[in-house]
Amino acid sequence: MMEMTHKQRILAVARGEMVDKLPFGARIDTWYNFHSAHGTLPDKYKGWSQTDIMADQGAGAQKRFFSICKERFHEMEVVIKKDGDWETREYITPVGTASIKLLWSTNEGPWLAYEHEKLFKSAKDYLVVKYILEHTEPYFNDDYTQERADMGERGIVMTGTGLWCPPQRIMREIMGYELFYQEMMDNEDQVAELIDVMAELELKKLKIAIDSPLELINLCANWSDDIHTPVFQRFFTPYFKKANEMIHAAGKLSMVHTDGEMRRLLRFFPETDNDVGEAVTPKPQTSLSMTEFKKGYGEKVAIWGGISSIMFEPNYSNQEFDEHVISLIKEMAPGKGFIVGMADNLPFDGDINRVGRVVDLIEKYGKLPVWV
Amino acid sequence: MIDYSQLSQAVTNGEWKRTPELTQAILSAGAKPVDIIFNALQPGMEVVGEKYSSGEYYLPDMLKASRAMNLAMETLKPFIADTAVTKLGKVALATVKNDMHDIGKNIVCSFLRGVGFDVIDLGCNVAEDKFAETVRSEKPDIVGLSALLTTTMYEIGTVVKKLESEGLRGQVKVMAGGAPVTERFALQMGADAYARDGGEAVRVAKRLVGK
Repeated sequence: MMEMTHKQRILAVARGEMVDKLPFGARIDTWYNFHSAHGTLPDKYKGWSQTDIMADQGAGAQKRFFSICKERFHEMEVVIKKDGDWETREYITPVGTASIKLLWSTNEGPWLAYEHEKLFKSAKDYLVVKYILEHTEPYFNDDYTQERADMGERGIVMTGTGLWCPPQRIMREIMGYELFYQEMMDNEDQVAELIDVMAELELKKLKIAIDSPLELINLCANWSDDIHTPVFQRFFTPYFKKANEMIHAAGKLSMVHTDGEMRRLLRFFPETDNDVGEAVTPKPQTSLSMTEFKKGYGEKVAIWGGISSIMFEPNYSNQEFDEHVISLIKEMAPGKGFIVGMADNLPFDGDINRVGRVVDLIEKYGKLPVWV
Repeated sequence: MIDYSQLSQAVTNGEWKRTPELTQAILSAGAKPVDIIFNALQPGMEVVGEKYSSGEYYLPDMLKASRAMNLAMETLKPFIADTAVTKLGKVALATVKNDMHDIGKNIVCSFLRGVGFDVIDLGCNVAEDKFAETVRSEKPDIVGLSALLTTTMYEIGTVVKKLESEGLRGQVKVMAGGAPVTERFALQMGADAYARDGGEAVRVAKRLVGK
């Protein structure tokens, strides 16, 4: 019988099936983007793609691709100015002007910009931000087709409508957490209306994602307990339920990037109907153990992650690293519903060869079912 | 006998619409502004710190409590001379070089101010030279370093080394934190202490100044 490919194994586990051994979907873009930008990739890997490097290490690939959608803006002028690593975008609309200032920094990987100045700065911006969202039209991003072809069976192109779900976009991208919570104290109805308008846009993008070949749709990144549970229950859960209704009706799966401290949010996860919790980050980087995560996510959810990023750092020895991974495998016994992965990335000074160490440890300890 | 508990509880509960009137009522009852700060406002924020660290409180709870405290302080402002309130100590705080994340640092600033530290917020993307300059000019008791990225957390060590090379290290305690930072890492970088979150930062800062 032919061995499963990395992609097949990951998707089978995401569907709740039992496989021959633990899949490993490795994510190295922080390390790769930093070293590519600085010309410091190891000699062996100079000129290689991320996916080729992960394949060389023997791992399945988990490659981030920002969004399966691009956006057009109607009935407004969008002016983009660049100054070195800085980019300012000004949205000039009939109801007002709003701007954002982005920093494209190789510290974060050059594919991700840091919003130094958010689009929403005060209550006077509700009208113009609402206008921008209502006049944004998403369409399919052709670049995904090439990414998917390049990846082949070697792993998963991790993508969806974008990085975040509607309330998270308002909280993180549009307002910033602190201003969001200040506005929830002062202008709650207007915040709720903005989230509704964002949801309409994101559901249009979701339709595009569902109609694409994408099997596993990433719905929202960066869950953490800073998403106040009343906010989560009021805004996040209903969106996830609606999105998963659409996704599951199409025979597809959903995934969320839950890489933060999840002590308070974990118990709400099963209500969201999400299929995969990815970048699950245990101790020592958060307060929860994998056992607690297993219990909290429940049997219907596949867990992807488990190896805290910091374990790849040089201040942990190879022995400590191996012990962490072996302990992880044993803790996740018998192993069904678990995809080994980084939580959430290989850090810039991490040892790329530890990716290969994980592969070897899975061969030795990760055949399913895992016996303890 | 003045009852400070209602105001203290209102701060802890984040009842920002009530704290100005409660503060005014206690002032009218004859309380000194300094006593209101020490007996009601700061204890209220201390409890917020404990609840935040224990997992009972979130960021929005802390923001509500900070607003409640700040509005109370605004009520007291006309009645306080700058020198009247003794501070626990002085903390210079920033996110390290090449790191633009500020939310963790802002939370720590709010907590430290809330319990009575004098806080100098140096902002984000702060290089080691600026820390050294601040230690020389402002003479803080503590330097607080926040790093949110694995690519920037080594700047904690860079700052410590700069303070050493400038002969300033002995004058100040160094406290570090941030998402990828662990206690082990912070101490390896030469920090005196590590704080996991804003609530813990209060306890650690107090310990570092011997309070």
